Amino acid sequence: MHKVIIIDDEPLARQLVRAFLQQHTGFEIAAECGDGFDGFKAIQEHAPDLIFLDVQMPKLNGFEMLELLDEKPSVIFTTAFDEYAMKAFEANAVDYLLKPIAKERFDKAITKWQASVASQQKQSIEQLQVSNVYEGYQHRIVVKDNGLIRIIPADDIEFVEANDDYIKIVTKDGSYLKKSTLSQVEQSLNPQHFVRVHRSYIIPISQLVRIEPYEKESHIALLQCGAKIPVSKSGMTKLKTTLGW
Amino acid sequence: MALINKHLRWLLPLLAFIIWCLQAGYLFYYEGLGLNVALIDSSVNMGILALAIWGMLLVVNAYPTRVGVTLYALLIGTFFAIAGGFTTWMILKLIFKNPVHHYLDWLAYSMPVRYFSNWLICGWIATYSAIVKEAETIEKKFLKQNDLTNLHREAELYKLRQQLQPHFLYNSLNSISALTMIEPSKAQDMIGKLSDFLRRSVTRDGQERILLTEELEYIEAYLSIESVRFGDRLKIVYNKSFDPKAEIPPFILQPVMENAIKFGLYGKTGEVTISVDISQKDSMLIVNVTNPYDKDNQPSRGTGFGLEGIKRRLYLLFTRTDLLDVSKTDTEFTTTLSIPQTYA
Repeated sequence: MHKVIIIDDEPLARQLVRAFLQQHTGFEIAAECGDGFDGFKAIQEHAPDLIFLDVQMPKLNGFEMLELLDEKPSVIFTTAFDEYAMKAFEANAVDYLLKPIAKERFDKAITKWQASVASQQKQSIEQLQVSNVYEGYQHRIVVKDNGLIRIIPADDIEFVEANDDYIKIVTKDGSYLKKSTLSQVEQSLNPQHFVRVHRSYIIPISQLVRIEPYEKESHIALLQCGAKIPVSKSGMTKLKTTLGW
Repeated sequence: MALINKHLRWLLPLLAFIIWCLQAGYLFYYEGLGLNVALIDSSVNMGILALAIWGMLLVVNAYPTRVGVTLYALLIGTFFAIAGGFTTWMILKLIFKNPVHHYLDWLAYSMPVRYFSNWLICGWIATYSAIVKEAETIEKKFLKQNDLTNLHREAELYKLRQQLQPHFLYNSLNSISALTMIEPSKAQDMIGKLSDFLRRSVTRDGQERILLTEELEYIEAYLSIESVRFGDRLKIVYNKSFDPKAEIPPFILQPVMENAIKFGLYGKTGEVTISVDISQKDSMLIVNVTNPYDKDNQPSRGTGFGLEGIKRRLYLLFTRTDLLDVSKTDTEFTTTLSIPQTYA
């Protein structure tokens, strides 16, 4: 039996998936969840083979929930987002089902998944380009902090530093590590407010106090929090364009 | 705007120089005046003419008028031509007071020609710059009008988007699809509600103001669909006291409710109560919508956009920016709408 979890904030939408799924054999619904947070807990508890995931949900949205998972199950998105946006992560999910979901389309997705399991092909959704899909830029970053889930509003970020396989997000309340790359963070944050000033640093424009020359062709940015961040030559060019010098 | 239009900036001094040369040459060779007399005469004439043109341009630019542009410019040109000619005459008479009475006779004789040529030059320049100025004003007006049209168009587009609400529609259809399997009678009920909502959206299009009671019915249709989608999580508490004739522009209150639902219902779990408080104070209808809100957990999609759109729309309708107000605590978000009531 394949374990399945359905995550959607609308009870009727969950019932629809349940009803469609019951017509297929070999599936067992381990849990139904109404928000991303419950979904995260249920996935850790049941370790499902496949999840049906809505995008817009309270607490944590579908993408944020996936980001937090170390062991990601196969995902079939169920959402009312238009096809245009869905294309962006088509490659990363088993399939995506647009609401209203047609029975035929649902069956096709199940067949697709079964085929991928049969061919031992592990579907990878590691590189989810959240920003490109999710209507504009992120207003927050979700991290795991000692087993707790912490939501950091983008406004609270003092700077972001690359740290091997991790990124370090520094806020006034402390700093948090997240398994991600600086490029991913750079793409998800609004470039009007956040600038990658260096290979290893992203700073919010609002934090900038002044920029001082440092050695040849490079600068040092002084931030409100007191941190001194190196600014590379290309970082300086980006800063200038963003600030409109 | 520059005093001398940029088309004339190089032409005028050049023209002045040519006239000065021609006049001096003419006086010296043909009229047989002494070289110094010819030079002084033409210099004074040219200097005064330049002053007159300068003054005239000041007047043309400073006093835009409702009278026909060309007529106005001609009048001014004539005035300055006469003033300039007269001044020239007086000055030349003063300079050549004693010695050459022959010159003074000639001067008196030449005055009509001088007045006429002054009038031609002043009239032409005044008319030309007045027309250019008028053209610029028209262009500016046109650009402004364009801006306004664009704003209107955007509002129209926004209205359309509001009306279609594809996500709402798709999600509702998905719920209906589920209901057809679980509870067919409820599915039928929901289809009725959805049709009612859509019909109201379509008929409201193009109306500038509608009765508040009608808008509330529309919102009721919308909310009843949301209740089906989200089960019994949604509760609306009304507190209404208003004139039954109170009116409201369409697509103002509904987006506010939508916003309240987005932040209240989509953003939270468990039961959600949204309170709607409607009162009337003098000629102002005041609508308060309060929804629970979790400041750490806002849905990140389209934050604030709806409210921005409403504000713009209110500005377009009433040219006031103080008609929409929001306030929030850590747990509650309140939107206050003030709609001026104008009774015929």
